[in-house]
Amino acid sequence: MSFRNTNRAWGSLTKALHWIIVILIINQWWIAERAESLKGLEKLQALAWHKSFGMTILMLAVIRLVWRWLNPVPDLTSETKPWERGLAKISHVLLYALIFAMPLTGWLMSSARNFPVSWFKVFQFPDLVAPSETLFHRMNDLHHLLFAVLVVVAALHVAGALKHHFIDRNDVLKRMLPFGGVK
Amino acid sequence: MANYRISLAAAAVLLTGACHASAAAPAARWIQAPGSSLTFTFDQAGAASKGAFRQFSTELVYDEKSPATGSLNVKVQIASIDTQDQERNEMLVGADLFDAKKFPTAQYVASSFARTAAGGLEAVGKLTLRGVTKELRLPLKIVPTTAGLELSGATAIKRLEYGVGQGDWQSTEGVADEVKIQYKVVLTKAK
Repeated sequence: MSFRNTNRAWGSLTKALHWIIVILIINQWWIAERAESLKGLEKLQALAWHKSFGMTILMLAVIRLVWRWLNPVPDLTSETKPWERGLAKISHVLLYALIFAMPLTGWLMSSARNFPVSWFKVFQFPDLVAPSETLFHRMNDLHHLLFAVLVVVAALHVAGALKHHFIDRNDVLKRMLPFGGVK
Repeated sequence: MANYRISLAAAAVLLTGACHASAAAPAARWIQAPGSSLTFTFDQAGAASKGAFRQFSTELVYDEKSPATGSLNVKVQIASIDTQDQERNEMLVGADLFDAKKFPTAQYVASSFARTAAGGLEAVGKLTLRGVTKELRLPLKIVPTTAGLELSGATAIKRLEYGVGQGDWQSTEGVADEVKIQYKVVLTKAK
């Protein structure tokens, strides 16, 4: 497996970024769910982890987008129908947009609530806006709404991958698997 | 009767004269005016966060010519704490942190000022916070303004020494022990 993408296969860096972000997003959801029922110090700490992981996703998203621009994108199979290509394109654009928009709305929320963002206590991100309760509530709603959109688009993405694998019986799913793949 | 009055007036003149002689320049009393701020910076989960006390009062006795004779008295209304978040403000005034019900005010009292090695001025006094009194030297910069004086400076205290943080909050994992304090007080001459 090469480090870079080719016209037929995803490189190891793309795969690593894809799966690390998947794991981090699931972890984010789990921490956020848990934080809802916590209070005081425990909630503060849970949300500190959520913010640190969220900013990690944002930084990985930047690397991922740059890497996509610098690399060829393996094509879908020749049998893939235009409507499938269209749907794939839309969901991929949305997924990329969401891995930026989720952390950014989270960061805005934190700034608006005067709870600045630290990255695992290693360094602190600057505040994006001055404290504002109205803005906090707006960003909070948006953050939750975007998560709902993410769940729907991710489900579509998984459904598409499974269709390629089990119905069309092509390599589209296999070529993104960590150690599987296409030569 | 007339003589008596005159002698009384003379005595008064003499007395005031005597007072002036003993304390060459009586230190003026200054009180806090609008535009003053008392802010603090605390490390919350690795991020420096800011807050303020919106209500506090300051009284300063200060004479530029002999700063050591001055005094400073600051009273802070704990319930006026403002971290721009209602939930956090309520948590802060709660029993485990400032316990504003039991300890509604914090007070700093200094009855003398000293010169620091660097040539600056500092108040030599005591801070009472959450019922705990500790010695604390406050660096002060006092400059004249058109309206009077401006007193400013910054220091740092350890919140746990004053018991601000009981139970879970004794841990410094969420909120660091050291809290930085910044003050800028606008003062006008008391009448």
